Parts: sequence; structure tokens; C-alpha cells
Amino acid sequence: MHEGVPRDGGSEVVFDSVSFTYPGAGERALTDVSIGVRAGEHLGIVGPNGGGKSTLLKLLVGVLVPAAGRVSVAGCEPGVARRERLVGYVPQRSEAGLDWPISVRQAVALPLAAGRTGFTRGGAQERARVDEALGVVGITDLGERRIGTLSGGLFLRAMIARAVASGACVLALDEPTVGVDAEGQQRFADLMRRLRERVGLTVVIVSHDLRAIAAGCDRVACLARTLHYHDAPSGLTPQVLAQVFRHDVEGVFGAVHIDAHEAADCDDPSHGHGQPPGELRGRGDA
Amino acid sequence: MRTIEFLTQNGAAYWWPVLAALLTTLLGGVLSVAVVLKRLAFIGQGVSHAAFGGVGLALLAGVGVGSAAGDLVLLLVLIVFGVGAALGIDLLARSRSARGPGAAGGADTAIGIVLAVSMAMGFVLYRLAAREAVAGGRPAPPGIESVLFGDILSVGPIDVLIAGATLVAGAGVLWGYRGPRGFAGCEPEAAEAFGVRVRALERLLLVLAAVAIVVAVRTAGVVLASAIFVLPAATALRLSNRLSGVMVWSLAVAALGAIGGVVLSFEAGWSTGPSIVLALGAAYGAARVWNALRAG
Repeated sequence: MHEGVPRDGGSEVVFDSVSFTYPGAGERALTDVSIGVRAGEHLGIVGPNGGGKSTLLKLLVGVLVPAAGRVSVAGCEPGVARRERLVGYVPQRSEAGLDWPISVRQAVALPLAAGRTGFTRGGAQERARVDEALGVVGITDLGERRIGTLSGGLFLRAMIARAVASGACVLALDEPTVGVDAEGQQRFADLMRRLRERVGLTVVIVSHDLRAIAAGCDRVACLARTLHYHDAPSGLTPQVLAQVFRHDVEGVFGAVHIDAHEAADCDDPSHGHGQPPGELRGRGDA
Repeated sequence: MRTIEFLTQNGAAYWWPVLAALLTTLLGGVLSVAVVLKRLAFIGQGVSHAAFGGVGLALLAGVGVGSAAGDLVLLLVLIVFGVGAALGIDLLARSRSARGPGAAGGADTAIGIVLAVSMAMGFVLYRLAAREAVAGGRPAPPGIESVLFGDILSVGPIDVLIAGATLVAGAGVLWGYRGPRGFAGCEPEAAEAFGVRVRALERLLLVLAAVAIVVAVRTAGVVLASAIFVLPAATALRLSNRLSGVMVWSLAVAALGAIGGVVLSFEAGWSTGPSIVLALGAAYGAARVWNALRAG
């Protein structure tokens, strides 16, 4: 285990005035973004394509280093957190190696196996961690299935099980509901609630799918190169969304005027702070 | 059985080539799983053809004709060429695609360029070397056919030793790093996020494959060397759903192909390299038929 790092019930993620520019790119991918995620909290980051969502996750995971500002995970630099495997990164399904002949159990155990070098074998303790993680996400009976045969929703569960098994305290989900149907959305909401109850991980979800964000998150940040909004899901007014997604819509249809009234039912005050997160599902698709 | 006659009535003369063929093909069996799963098959082509450029250069410099020491120097030159080609292709592919770790967007173009240029260079240098050797009254270099398709009967104990050492080293490295390498192999992005040094491991695999292919060029030739780094795993992936099963099948298919190919070459009087590739190809065909029968 990772001595000296608090691992009880998650930890804190901090983005402090972070800016980032890809080498060779003229424009900044992120400008002066500040985010704080409390231990055990679920933060959703919503925004248009090209708005910097994936860049933000890569900074969190420690694969990219900010040009300005500071990122910290559980009080560590992301690079250190990465080596300590504090962040459980869940990639999009399209980016995973699904054609490899490995079972769900093997896929879940990959970070544990990667931590071993030389000629050691994974022992009973490792098997127990994998079993426990599969149980948390509810796919105990799928352990021997080939990973590539899982549907989008089950695959997501396996990837979350991997993060749980590896002992991460922050879970970073990249577009978790891509390829998941409406029923799967409900199960995703249930899954997020179960994670909260049983593991207490700090969760950062990045998605352009508002339903995914609404289902699993306590707070929402809107990201279109800079941070537009940063509060409870109920604060996602049509005006804010129209502003954030304007570039997306313009990219498809050209310059359009967005009529905020059409989405007015999103602003239903009954979806307030006090609701359990799973109940927030469905806002916007009524 | 002419095979038995060849092996029993000629002392060790035919045992060395047979052993070298077996070890080289087993090396293919060990590495091909990673090569096929990581889609490096075409890089193998690039490496073996780049080795041909190296052959031309070495011959022109007067290295590697006849003596055992010359052979060793030639092999070293080829390894440098092969590893250089593999890393060069990797670099070209990445600079073109500029994507994340493991992405091989521009690889086909890069390999096409390296393959064609080094092949052309090899031919020109080979002709030059042959002409100079004749003009200078030195022994002519080995026939171009034996370079392209392998000349297993020229193989001696040193080749067996080199093939064996490469097999042991390759298998040891792959086994020792199988944890991080497996993760880096199937999910480079996620592996990087979990602290695995993906780029270093990918380069390690490339270097290993390049060295192995160059060693295989001695027995199987430039054109066929990369085949033994593709066919065993391609066959094995049709026969098992588990990585461990695929590995075992890959080794079994490699051994079977080597033995079958050697017997074929003795019985029919064919060249050994093509015979082994034909035997491996037959195994692949059989696996596909078996799959089709089982499914339907």
C-alpha cells in the first residue's frame, strides 16, 4: 500500500489557476481554470467538444503538465500521484484494447500486475482485491468473460472496478456514458450511488452528456476553455448551457440563435441540492 | 525418409541448420503474440528489408564473406540497421500522427518509405559489391537469392548460439515485464495514467523484435523473416481466447511449423525458409478451417 498518503474515504483535487497550451497550437486549450473537489465529492465537468475536458483529465492524471498554475491530488503533484496510482483513470471504451484475449478479471488486475516487476506472481491478496472490486460494481459473475464481449455499460463497470482494485482514491471518468442506452443511464446513476456508499471515492466525470453528469454528480463545472460555471447541478440554467455549447452548435449548423425557453423545464426548482444524486437523473430528457 | 538419412549420415552438418531453424521459429512464436496484438507485423517487414540495405553496405565494405568473424560483424551491422529502422519507423509514424502513446496513425506510410528506400539501396550496394569483388579477384558475395530467401545450409554453430541467446533473452524480458507490458500493450492511454512507462516499454518491444527479425533473416531470408513473427500468433489467436493459451499455442505452432518445414525441405528438396513459412501458413489455414467448422 501507499504509506504516508491518506487513503481513508478519498481526498482532495485542486486546480489552481491552471492554463495549458498544446505544443505547436496557437490557442490555449485551457485558460486560468480553478476547481476544488472535496474528498468524497462527485464533480461533473460538462462542455462542448474541444472545450478542454480531456485536457483537464490528462492534467489531473499527470500525463500532461500545466503551463501555468498548479494541480494537486491528495496533496501530491499529479506525477507523484500517478506513480502511487492515486488516480483511477477510466478511458473511453473506444480507446481500450478490446481485441486482446484477456478476461474481465485480468483486465481489472492490469494495474496491480503492472506494479509487479520481475518474476513475482499475484497472490491471494491480489485476487481478493479484484473479487471485492468486481463485487462493488456488481459484475462478480462476469469475471471470466472476455473483456471485449462486454457491452458499454458493463465495460464501464469493469473499468471502474479496475480503479477500485488498484486502490485509487480519485476516480476520473472520461465520457462514461458514450454507447450506453437510456436504461444504462439509470444503472449508471445506481452505480455512482453505490460507489459513494461503499467506497467513498472522489469522482471527476467529464462528459458532453448532461444526463450522465446530472445522474452522478453533486456539483457541475462547465468548461469551454475557461470555467463558466461551478456549482450545484440546479445552477445549470438554459442560459448557461446555451452559452457553453454555443460553439458546438455553431460548429454543426453555423451561427444560430439559441432559444433558451425551449429547455425551460430544465430549470425545475424541484431538482435541488437536497436530493440524492441518483434522483437527479432525467433532468432535461423529460 | 530422406530426413532421417540427412540427419544420421552426415554428422552434425545438418543438425546446426535444423536447430537454428527450430530456435528461430520458436523466437518467432514467443514474440509474434506481442507483434500481432500490437499490430507491428508491417514494422517487421520494414526491419527485415532495412536489413537488406545493411547487407549491401556490409558487403561493399568487404565484411561478412566467408569467415566466422566476418559473419559476426555482419550480424552486428544488421542489428544496428534493424534496430535503427524500427526506431526510425516509430519516430516517423509518431511525428506524422502526433497522437497519444500507442497510436500508429502514420506507420504504414513510414514503413513503406523505409522498406522501399532500404531495399533499393541494398540492391544497388549489392551489385556494386559483387562488381568490385570480381574486379579485385576476391570471392563473390553469396547469391542474392540466398540473402532474400535465406540459406539455411550455410548456418553453423555460431548461428545456433545467437538464435538460442536471443530466444532466452527475448523470452526472459517479455516474461519479466509481462505485467506492465501487458497493460501498456492493450491500453496504452490507461496504462500511462496508472503510472506505467508506456513509451519505454514500447521501444523495448521494438528493439527486441528488430533484433529477433535480423537474427531470423540469416535463416529465413529478408522476404520471409517477418512471416515467422506473424503466423504463429495469428494461428494461436484462432485457437484460444486466453492470453496464456494463445502464448502456448503460438509456441506449439512455431515448433510444429519449424519441424514440418525442415522435413518438407529435406523430403522435397525445397529451400528451408520457404518450407517453414509454407508449413506455418498451412497451420494458419487449418486453424481457420477448424474455427469455421466449430462455429458452423
